[in-house]
Amino acid sequence: MTVGDLRIEDVSRRFDVDGRALLALDSVSLEAPAGSFIALIGPSGCGKSTLLRMLAGLDQPSEGTIRIGGLSPRTLQQRGALGIAFQDASLLPWRSVEANVRFPFDVIGRMSEADRSRVQEMIELVGLGGFEQALPGQLSGGMRQRVAIARALVSEPQLLLLDEPFGALDQILRRSMNRELQKLWLKRPVTTVMVTHSVDEAIFLADKVVVMTGRPGRIGRVIDVPFERERPLSLLNSAECRQLEAEILQLMFDHENDDA
Amino acid sequence: MRDRRQRTTIAIGWLALLLLWEVAGRLHWVADGALPSLSGVLRQLVEDWGDYPPHIWATVRTSLIGFLVGNAVAVLCGFLMASWRPVGRLLSGINVTLFAMPPIALTPILVIAFDGDAPRIVLAALATYYPTMVATVLGLTRIDPRLLDVVRLYGGGRWAALRWVRLRHALPTLLAGLRVAAPNAVLGSLLAEFGSGSGAGLGHYLIGSLGRGDPERLWGIGLVATAISALFYVAILLVARCWVGAQAPTQESLGSQGDAARGAGTQWLITLVAVVLPLLAWWAAVWGLEQAGVSGFVLRTPVDLAAELFSSTRPESLASIIGGALLETLPWCLAGMALGLGFALLLAILGTLSPVLERVLMPLSLLSQSMPLVALTPLIVLIFGRDGATILAITISVTFFPAYVTLAQGMALVPEATQDCVRALGGSRLKQIRLVSLPWSLPYLCAAARLVAPRAFLGVMIAEWLATGTGIGNLLNVARGSLDYGLVWAVVVAAVLVSVLLYLMVTVIEQRVLKRFAMTPVQ
Repeated sequence: MTVGDLRIEDVSRRFDVDGRALLALDSVSLEAPAGSFIALIGPSGCGKSTLLRMLAGLDQPSEGTIRIGGLSPRTLQQRGALGIAFQDASLLPWRSVEANVRFPFDVIGRMSEADRSRVQEMIELVGLGGFEQALPGQLSGGMRQRVAIARALVSEPQLLLLDEPFGALDQILRRSMNRELQKLWLKRPVTTVMVTHSVDEAIFLADKVVVMTGRPGRIGRVIDVPFERERPLSLLNSAECRQLEAEILQLMFDHENDDA
Repeated sequence: MRDRRQRTTIAIGWLALLLLWEVAGRLHWVADGALPSLSGVLRQLVEDWGDYPPHIWATVRTSLIGFLVGNAVAVLCGFLMASWRPVGRLLSGINVTLFAMPPIALTPILVIAFDGDAPRIVLAALATYYPTMVATVLGLTRIDPRLLDVVRLYGGGRWAALRWVRLRHALPTLLAGLRVAAPNAVLGSLLAEFGSGSGAGLGHYLIGSLGRGDPERLWGIGLVATAISALFYVAILLVARCWVGAQAPTQESLGSQGDAARGAGTQWLITLVAVVLPLLAWWAAVWGLEQAGVSGFVLRTPVDLAAELFSSTRPESLASIIGGALLETLPWCLAGMALGLGFALLLAILGTLSPVLERVLMPLSLLSQSMPLVALTPLIVLIFGRDGATILAITISVTFFPAYVTLAQGMALVPEATQDCVRALGGSRLKQIRLVSLPWSLPYLCAAARLVAPRAFLGVMIAEWLATGTGIGNLLNVARGSLDYGLVWAVVVAAVLVSVLLYLMVTVIEQRVLKRFAMTPVQ
């Protein structure tokens, strides 16, 4: 096992609902080498967002441990080594594009010359050069999402977390954003965990697709995606891809029937 | 293009209203000249202008100081409530009291306890407190939680969240609260003048001129008071425009702020404290005044008053005097409220049928938000004379505008698609209103009722005091005049209590009704 591995060991999470303990996540274990792209997929309520929040150090496991390169998420927080992007961008509406991308450095409390040029570089990379002074309210949904991704990557995180980053976009826009995200990621393959509802998005972007099942949340199966990088969008129309997609969907429906 | 046509329509509507006023005044249509023509009012205003400066200065000074003091306290309380949830629960009794209490009821006590500008400043501050406090809490807490997550993700603690997100996020909401609070401060100052003998100030001037029956002068004073209020309002609006631009204030309701699982015992304790705290505040105020040298003869603690309420040393016990007065007052209050809400609902419906009507009414209603409307009731006394009609007219006038604004906003929010459902099935406009718009606006009707209940009570009290000489409003005046301090305190406490109960009653009905239809209350 090399340093930089993502290791989730027997992680459970219980919530207290009206005095009753509700098991949201039941001893989940997962390992991945540094620089891999993991997609979490499953029905709502399967605990994938809970898992993501725990990876971000925003929530603590009731049992079990999470280590990224041997460090806890809280330690990564203190080092500014995490990045996150949410479904509807969650930008600060009073800050310009530039100030939103710079935001992590404001919270961390220091910004070197290199960081400063990295802010500009990230804005260019996500294709928003020229919009530095625009406010989020003046941007389209896709552009806002680009700002959110730039913000998540600007501090060169050791772990990137994406919570349905393109969930609010239409299918066509989502695909082209997927392609851009892959390009960005290939430039500097950071360990990434993405929660998604879209099977083809998961296949297109991820090295491993983790299919989760609900009540309580467990990992149903981990599927390795065999396709070479850089993947073209046309991959989604190939027979192999269709086959894989059908397999994943079947897994999800099987579990749903178990429920019923 | 459409924008310009809209503006033209509004301008024409306004001109028509002003013209109607002029003609009605000239031809003495209303109550034998009680409504003077606009030109007459302006002529009189110019003539009297020499008398105005001290009055204007006194009103502006006291309301401005009260505004600053009240807001400082409100922001501080709001900040504490936002930082620590239980504070909000503990203070809820005081908050509801300050929201629902008729400001006029406090004046006799304030006048007994303080002199100089102090009663006016205190009342202005009290009237300012509630909207600013609510806005502070909303602005600091109703934040997309993920914005706060981002701060935590980079190792930021509570301080970082406050510095980078909460404070700046609260700004537009706070400014919107201040905008509502500003006319309230002017209203508070004016109402305190109603009850405090002679001196400078537009409120004094208004009451002093009421007896002389000079309609033009009264209306002039009303215009000036409105202008001051509107200036406050616009000043804050401009500050907000420059500072926060088009960023919208938070609009979600405070009601859904659920409490985390806490034992039933703790809940009861919190509720108990919330109820007891206003009483303690009363006690503390009396104690403080005694320390400051106010004679104990004019002060009453809760215990003193409870003892005096049923004491048999009086020919008629205080409790029965107050009870009788309330029985006289309450029916008018309920009737006026129902009529005000009814008119507002009717016009909101007509507004959806006739956009022109709405375009004229809406700006007028919004303008009325910056008007110290309750303080202008002497003008209505002039028109309707001194009987029951005045009570109704005043109550309707102070309930109609806020109710209309709330209802019209509700109806404007009915989703187009739901209306199309009726339209696509060939339903008429009326059917659409009956089947969709009205049910949809139910939460807004409830919110309007909640908003206007305390105002209606205040309106009736003022009408009774200034015009009819009946009920609890008159009792307030009589008690003060006869130096019967026990009665003064009893009336004040009864008025505040009834107003709070009225508000709570409407809230309970609202919860029941909305629960039945699985709807949530609007703020």
